[in-house]
Amino acid sequence: MNTDEQLVLEFQQGSRGAFAELFERYREPVYGFFRRRLENPGRAEELAQECFLALLQNVKRYEPRASFRSYLYGIAIHLVSAERRKAGHEIAENEKLDNRATEENAGESRDAGIWVRHALKHLRKDEREILMLREYEQLSYEEIAGLMRLPVNTVRSRLFRARMALKNQLMPVKD
Amino acid sequence: MERNAQHAFDAEEVMAYLDGELEARRATELAAHLVSCSECQEVAQGFRVLSERTLSFEVERPPAEMSETVLAALDSRETSRKEVSNSSNRRESWRWRPLIARPYLWAFASLAIVALIFFASIPNLFRAREAAELASRRASGYKSWLDKAGTAVTRSGSNVYQSSTETSETGTVAPESASPAPPVAGDELKAPETVGPMIAQTASLSIVATNYDEASAAIERLAAAHGGYVEKLTAKAQTGSARGLSAALRIPAKQLDGFLADLRKLGHVEEESRENEEVSAQYVDLQARLKSARATEQRLIELLGTRTGKLSEVLDAERELARIRGEIESMQGQNAILVHRVTYATVQVELGEEYRERLGTTSKGTKIWNALVEGLGNLEDGAVAALIFLLAYGPSILFWFAVLMLPAWLIWRRPRRPAQT
Repeated sequence: MNTDEQLVLEFQQGSRGAFAELFERYREPVYGFFRRRLENPGRAEELAQECFLALLQNVKRYEPRASFRSYLYGIAIHLVSAERRKAGHEIAENEKLDNRATEENAGESRDAGIWVRHALKHLRKDEREILMLREYEQLSYEEIAGLMRLPVNTVRSRLFRARMALKNQLMPVKD
Repeated sequence: MERNAQHAFDAEEVMAYLDGELEARRATELAAHLVSCSECQEVAQGFRVLSERTLSFEVERPPAEMSETVLAALDSRETSRKEVSNSSNRRESWRWRPLIARPYLWAFASLAIVALIFFASIPNLFRAREAAELASRRASGYKSWLDKAGTAVTRSGSNVYQSSTETSETGTVAPESASPAPPVAGDELKAPETVGPMIAQTASLSIVATNYDEASAAIERLAAAHGGYVEKLTAKAQTGSARGLSAALRIPAKQLDGFLADLRKLGHVEEESRENEEVSAQYVDLQARLKSARATEQRLIELLGTRTGKLSEVLDAERELARIRGEIESMQGQNAILVHRVTYATVQVELGEEYRERLGTTSKGTKIWNALVEGLGNLEDGAVAALIFLLAYGPSILFWFAVLMLPAWLIWRRPRRPAQT
């Protein structure tokens, strides 16, 4: 099986199939990336699309120095932060509503996913992002460091703090 | 989970180990340690459970439309170049959106524009203030002139009224003063006393009057009483300062002493000066030249009447006669001016108002109120000036701002591109 980087090179040389393969590999992770970070599923879908379209247009600029994953998630992070800046106020309002809904439902459904989502919101922004990139996108410390422009050691210590904080948040559920 | 002094490994290292991010040597040591250390096993277990729980936050599968859209974009990109340009337009819009969403850019832009307007409008502000002051000075100056010394204007219409901005002339007679009504006359103007030196007298007097209104009216009345006239009168009445009057008077030389004595009674004399210019030499010289010119004229007339000769000679003689006649007239004019200067002394009067008293009587409330009114006036002037400036230069400023900001933005943006990572 070809690696992501090989597929990108093939696509750069004009292989349609290579891109289709890459898209198939990352369709769900990328959608999940936006879905976990945005409340609105429709918007998450649009941004996931936009992410792949941006990849299509900028693929010539990709150089195999960095992993394809971090390149792709770099675009995704950029899109999410742009989206948050654009509609900062709107999103904050939505999140408030969502919080209330979450709390109401939590007692009944006991759905662990909802608790995690809720707990994540209580983490510090930068720590939460590192934790999510590690847990959901499965990026290495080095890849996260590259994306966040931080030293690897800082990534490790922040990830540790984030996990401790998340554990504290989830503790009441656990016991 | 905090770092434990007894332990060779802390919780963070255990976490890194589980993430597969611990360096090989350290990882081997930790693996060996984990076998025997129940405490570390517990820590590791805690991390595993936490990860499992974190991953329970699952999301639904992406909708099928997403794949269709992306693959359609891929196909259209493959088949048509046009679509590429389309999507590059799209990319542009994708890149522009964050710019618009950046509040600090907008803040910076507004600040820059405001600063620009402020600096650019400073000269305008001053100009507006000056213009307003000038206008009010003119208006009030004219009004007070009409009120106080007023009727005189209509009485002696030929006298010159000028606004305070112009400088009053002192001393010698201005050319136009030869024309006004008073006693310029006759072909043969001679000095009143042909004996003794001819002296053109100039006096200058600066008076501060307690009763300004009365004094200003008295000046003209006194001049008329002594057989003189007002040559020029300038009244100033600036708001916030003392009123003042500046007059150039022509008084018969004989009456000068009496007139000055009367003037001194109007108030406190701050400054007085007199100047006597001996013009006998000029007068004698002028008379001599006039006499000889007349003799020449007479001879030419006789010559033309009695002698006959060539036509050209006659014409020459007539031309000469015309020139001499012109000279005589010019000298007669100079003579008239000279004689007038001797007959009528020039008196320059500066009448001021005793303003300190008035200032003292102005209440603090009035002062504050005046300051407030002036402040509001300035504010209004400033606002109008700024508005005018904005309307006049706003479009250009926006244009240049856009032109200058675009490259700056591109430079600033480049290193942040995710593509570089």
